[in-house]
Amino acid sequence: MDLDKQIAEVIETSNSEFLAQCYELDAVPAFGSLVKTRSRDCQIYALVCASGTHSIEQGRRIVARGQGAASPAEVFKAHPQLAKLLCSDFRALVVGHDRGGVIREYLPPSPAGIYAFVYACKPEEVRLFTGSLDFLDLLIDSRLPAATDEVIAAFLRFASLTHEAPQEFLVKAGKGLAWLLSNDIRRLDSLLKRLRI
Amino acid sequence: MIVSPWMPWYTKNSKTMTLDISQVYGQVEAMAGDLKASQADYGRRLDVALDTLKTAGSAQDELRKKIDAARTTWLVAGLKEAMGLKKPADKCPDDYAVAASDGSHIDVDRHHSVRLFLLNIGLVYLQYGSRPDAEFSTLPSLYFGDERLYIRSDDGRQSPVEGSLLGMKRNVEECRCLADRVCAMPAGLPVVGLIDGSLIMWGLVGQRYEDFVIRHLLDEGMLKQLDRFHALNRERKAAVASYISFPRSADVVNALRLQLCPYNPVDCDKYCAGKFEGRACDVVGGLPDRDIFSRLLSDGERSAVFYSHSSIIERYGPHKVCFFYVRLDDEIARIEVPLWVADSSELLEMVHALVVEQCRKGFGYPVALSEAHEQAVVTGADRTQFWDVVERVMLEGNIGADISLKQRSKKIRWI
Repeated sequence: MDLDKQIAEVIETSNSEFLAQCYELDAVPAFGSLVKTRSRDCQIYALVCASGTHSIEQGRRIVARGQGAASPAEVFKAHPQLAKLLCSDFRALVVGHDRGGVIREYLPPSPAGIYAFVYACKPEEVRLFTGSLDFLDLLIDSRLPAATDEVIAAFLRFASLTHEAPQEFLVKAGKGLAWLLSNDIRRLDSLLKRLRI
Repeated sequence: MIVSPWMPWYTKNSKTMTLDISQVYGQVEAMAGDLKASQADYGRRLDVALDTLKTAGSAQDELRKKIDAARTTWLVAGLKEAMGLKKPADKCPDDYAVAASDGSHIDVDRHHSVRLFLLNIGLVYLQYGSRPDAEFSTLPSLYFGDERLYIRSDDGRQSPVEGSLLGMKRNVEECRCLADRVCAMPAGLPVVGLIDGSLIMWGLVGQRYEDFVIRHLLDEGMLKQLDRFHALNRERKAAVASYISFPRSADVVNALRLQLCPYNPVDCDKYCAGKFEGRACDVVGGLPDRDIFSRLLSDGERSAVFYSHSSIIERYGPHKVCFFYVRLDDEIARIEVPLWVADSSELLEMVHALVVEQCRKGFGYPVALSEAHEQAVVTGADRTQFWDVVERVMLEGNIGADISLKQRSKKIRWI
């Protein structure tokens, strides 16, 4: 994936999350990955917490077309209009922002701009963002479309791979979670189990 | 209606002031009873029609002469191929394209002080084969000002474009947009342009439109666009066709009526004036063509090609409309093509093959037309929004945008 190329565009936005429509079908960023976009005054970082592909128009139901076809690609070839009638989008949870070169792991003053371009973050940006784990505080209490702990674990696994010592990063993150979830051992246990790469 | 105990008493006792379906129910039941009683008779008429078709097939030249000499009160199909012909669809070319257009409009509203109408043309281009591609577009055009709101003659007569004239204007624009798109295609790729409905401008038939109106809509309108499709054949195989789903036409059944008629030459006014039943030809009366071809054709097969003998067709020249029926699953569709398509077996079979393939891809209806409709449709909500925008922009420009009190009372419902 060309990381300098925009992958999607914000089509619904609020202070805490945004919905972005991808330019290419099925080209959604990985669940739990870090993406960036812009508000009017800063760069916003957000976690992909849900994604999917559906009909571009509400009320037009997608029907199965592949009976007898060798592959889904063949279905698209036989029905070229499908690529124009379907779209992929993803919801991203805002976890921080960069203003004047300083990363802040709390919500930005203004939401992502509508139609703002969305980019996948480069490994060094992910590493930089996860230098501090303050964003975990924001995540723990979030109500997300997917199970919150699945998103947290997916992001930590994704981020760990950008660090020189992934295991060390995950241990550090685990300790941070233990502090935040000290009153909920069952949840902590379940989350830690999901951190294994 | 669900009556909640929390609803106020007057809601519980309320009676809707619109259509009372319970009053209609009995009438619907009576209608169903009548239809059931006539089913046996319908079956008999269908059998006679199919037998007559077989007989007519063996004496086709005689029937052709009889049709040419007949003076009838109905529209009778002309015979171009053997009447009982049925033909399976050819294989589609490896690479081809289908383009389709459809339209909607917002008519002139006499309750608004601003006179205008809007045409919204939906256009779809689908390319199949080694380089599959799809392109959708919507082309809305606002018509305002006397020059665009009226069809004018050189000597100062004019006719307002509204109601059925607007419908025909829309058909012309659908055809023009389709021709524009097809002309812009890469050379060499075979293409069929599909239009929803009929190529015959039925609105001009039987109406007393002045010649300048007919010239504007037909000669300089629809036929000019058909010329463009025809001209494309210099560089590729290009055909145009219109698709009529669940057709009500009875041109072929009417040809069978002539076969059954004991008089030769047939002259309805002379021999059967004022009669609506009991005539020899009434044994097949009331049947639509689709019922015959539904029995005759198998899935994907087409019927013979027939000429339309509508009076307006005389003006069509090389685009004289021909038609055939095609069976698609459980439906019979009528496909109309200009004469130059019907005369070329290559183009004719391409239209047949591509229409069948389009219907297979579109669950019984050509996928390109279905998507063109989706692009063109103007919903009730769109209409309301359109007029709101017109009123707002006019007000912002300090231009009066009055609406009638009748229209106002519909917008603000009061008790």
